[in-house]
Amino acid sequence: MVTPLGLNRDDSFAAAVMGKSAITAAPAAILKLLPSALAASVSKDFELGLSRAATGLDRATQFALSATQEALQDAGFEATEDQRSRIGVYVGIGNGGASTVDALYTRFFELLQLSATENRDPTVMHPLAVPRMMANAGAAAVTIQHQLRGQSYTYSIACASSSVALGEAYRALRHGYIDTAIVIGTEAILTPGSYVAWNALRVMAKKRDDAPEASCRPFDAQRTGFVLGEGAAALVLEAEGVTPTCSRAPYAELCGYGSTTDGMHITLPSAQGQTQAMNIALADAGLPLDAIGYINAHGTATTAGDATETESIKAVFGQHAKKLAISSTKAVHGHLIGAGGALEFAFSVMALATGSIPPTAHLDNPDPACDLDFVPLIARHSAPLQAVMSNSFAFGGTNASLIARKVDA
Amino acid sequence: MLRQLIDNFLLSKTNVTADKLSDPMLKMADLGIDSLEIVEMLFEVEDQYGIHVEDVMKFQQMTLNEVVAFMEQMIRDKNGGELPQLTQVDKAVG
Repeated sequence: MVTPLGLNRDDSFAAAVMGKSAITAAPAAILKLLPSALAASVSKDFELGLSRAATGLDRATQFALSATQEALQDAGFEATEDQRSRIGVYVGIGNGGASTVDALYTRFFELLQLSATENRDPTVMHPLAVPRMMANAGAAAVTIQHQLRGQSYTYSIACASSSVALGEAYRALRHGYIDTAIVIGTEAILTPGSYVAWNALRVMAKKRDDAPEASCRPFDAQRTGFVLGEGAAALVLEAEGVTPTCSRAPYAELCGYGSTTDGMHITLPSAQGQTQAMNIALADAGLPLDAIGYINAHGTATTAGDATETESIKAVFGQHAKKLAISSTKAVHGHLIGAGGALEFAFSVMALATGSIPPTAHLDNPDPACDLDFVPLIARHSAPLQAVMSNSFAFGGTNASLIARKVDA
Repeated sequence: MLRQLIDNFLLSKTNVTADKLSDPMLKMADLGIDSLEIVEMLFEVEDQYGIHVEDVMKFQQMTLNEVVAFMEQMIRDKNGGELPQLTQVDKAVG
């Protein structure tokens, strides 16, 4: 993982469990335009660790490579040439190549202005601009670096991108197209061009002057929206019954996936679509409702989003809804858009594996419309979890729900 | 200065070795750099001198000295026979 909370998985998950927010003032180039802009940025230390080969790649690709390296190392990954042809790479990204595109247009218009006075040619562009900004740049870099030769796909479904990537990789494994999948969610959109566009949509949290780090408050009565984040998370999935490429025992089994589309509104959520996605995932997992102990909610802290998700969870789980521990970790790592699904599913698996449920930070005054157990402020430890769910609901109307269970459950 | 710019790029961004670079007989293709790397190399010069090379395929069969001479001629043609001092390094997309 490369997240605003840390440059690896353990630091990131520990900060989420502590409810330690990574939300601060946005990068300087954005602050010049929007003085109270907030963001959840990856630490500058990340750039110091970049290899020569990775310098110059799109930031989202750099994140993807780093997260993959950690995941493969943790998994004890080692593959023969035959196995490599059966390894798929599935990437979710909302706005591929955002940093490269932003830099490209900045350069283009600067040169265009200078072309009249200083004889500069605006058509002179870096020849690798296209392979760097294409949406599948991250997938390509990972397959090349690790010589992976099964199918590799990139999914761009806004905030559900990497949840869908996980779900589709799981189906490809189950249907025998591949034996191993590396699934990556990555996003790097904290550039001035992207940021002002998000700002125009009026979905981002207002800065709390007394405590800027606590500006994103999912399920709170005073919530005002999300804070844009960046980063990547990578997971290794392996089919049952194949010769493993990973020496490490699995953390969990991905056992349920449901996806629907609202077909209704470009940004507004729909309880019907969300409910159906969760129901499909549960049916796919073949688990009773009360097997689910924790949900990592989409929980973006928008007024409509959190209330609708609460309603959907109640519709799916009925009486069991009140017994579920539900949290939104976006309060501390921000909204990673295309990377959010993979990160939050990974956190759900970490909760399952460790028994530590990360809280919903900054939830001081629960909204009466959000009347479930959203694990306010303080983590829960030693939770006897058997199965967990992670939800992602995207602009455009795509809903994705994933379920993981303990391997021995 | 032009040659140095190209050498710096090749040594830092490709797998070309210094001894190969100093062999005047070797063609670009013999240096072990691919066509995409040649285009990247040209960009270093294009970006600094504001020129734009259309046909890049011929460079594969030229020696490095010939490539440098070709580019220097292009730059001089554009600047009334002069080889301008390098402008500030400007790499928004680098």
